[in-house]
Amino acid sequence: MTQTRVAAVADIHMGEDLRGRFRPKLHGIEDRADVLLVGGDLTRHGTIAEGRVVADELRDLPIPVVAVLGNHDYHSDCEQAITAILRDAGVVVLDDEATILSMNGTTLGVVGGKGFGGGFAGKCASEFGEPETKAFVRHTRHIAERWRHALSGLDSDHRVVLSHYSPVKDTLMGEPTEIYPFLGSYLLAEAADEEGADLIIHGHAHLGTEKGLTPGGIQVRNVAVPVIGMAYTVYRLNGA
Amino acid sequence: MDAPHYVAARVQRALAEDERTVELGIRVDVRGDKIFLRGRVSAPERRLLIEDVAREAAPGLSVHNEITLVEVREPGEEEPL
Ligand SMILES: [Fe+2]
Ligand SMILES: [Fe+2]
Repeated sequence: MTQTRVAAVADIHMGEDLRGRFRPKLHGIEDRADVLLVGGDLTRHGTIAEGRVVADELRDLPIPVVAVLGNHDYHSDCEQAITAILRDAGVVVLDDEATILSMNGTTLGVVGGKGFGGGFAGKCASEFGEPETKAFVRHTRHIAERWRHALSGLDSDHRVVLSHYSPVKDTLMGEPTEIYPFLGSYLLAEAADEEGADLIIHGHAHLGTEKGLTPGGIQVRNVAVPVIGMAYTVYRLNGA
Repeated sequence: MDAPHYVAARVQRALAEDERTVELGIRVDVRGDKIFLRGRVSAPERRLLIEDVAREAAPGLSVHNEITLVEVREPGEEEPL
């Protein structure tokens, strides 16, 4: 049977003050999981110095590491430099694209990126009115389009979507409903539902809850550190 | 005195924009002359910094720091999907 154990965490928000505090928690991860997915907000301010701390915490793990950035990682306009620093450390950083990993005779496809907001069906912003509003909604629409494209070309036994923003409301429970449009967008779920995936991982909603489901029935997990209270959680994907 | 609504908004904004905190995940509620901070952070220093920034943004109010410290535990059981 082909099974894949996916370890996932988000919102580790590293800074110089936390240097060396995350890595020890990853000790022995290779016995529990086949891959580690990191769902954005790796830093607090998105500085290059913080990016280096993250790279050092994730460097040379015995299992592959796939990451996306989060809104905090964009804060200092250094997202490209941070991406390069992480890639130098061996981390696969996805920017609305796909990667395929093979392990134990199984292939795992991961599609992802930061994602963005806009809200959820029936209560969301639309591409109408001021250019600022249109640009906001268009950004999410564009991302969802790229995910759909990446998923449609993906040939692997299992497929996981890795995001920072949430595709569903379920995993936001605990957050004030007024800010839902800044926490995620249904367009992300719609792309995954159309093309199919086994699991969607996200973070960003620190006050949210872990478990949810897309309208199409894909499992969604919010793995923000304040939500899971652990260095990572492990999900087992069974026979393809 | 400012309406509690605006005070809460000011503190929330300070927590998000102050370089020391950049914290978007904290709930701020103002009741009378008390300000309540709720949420979860992973380091005790951050919990205290958030309190400092909130106090500076709302001088004269007493700050009730109800932020919980999440100790990042060792991972538990895996979940089969
Ligand atoms: Fe975060
Ligand atoms: Fe975030």
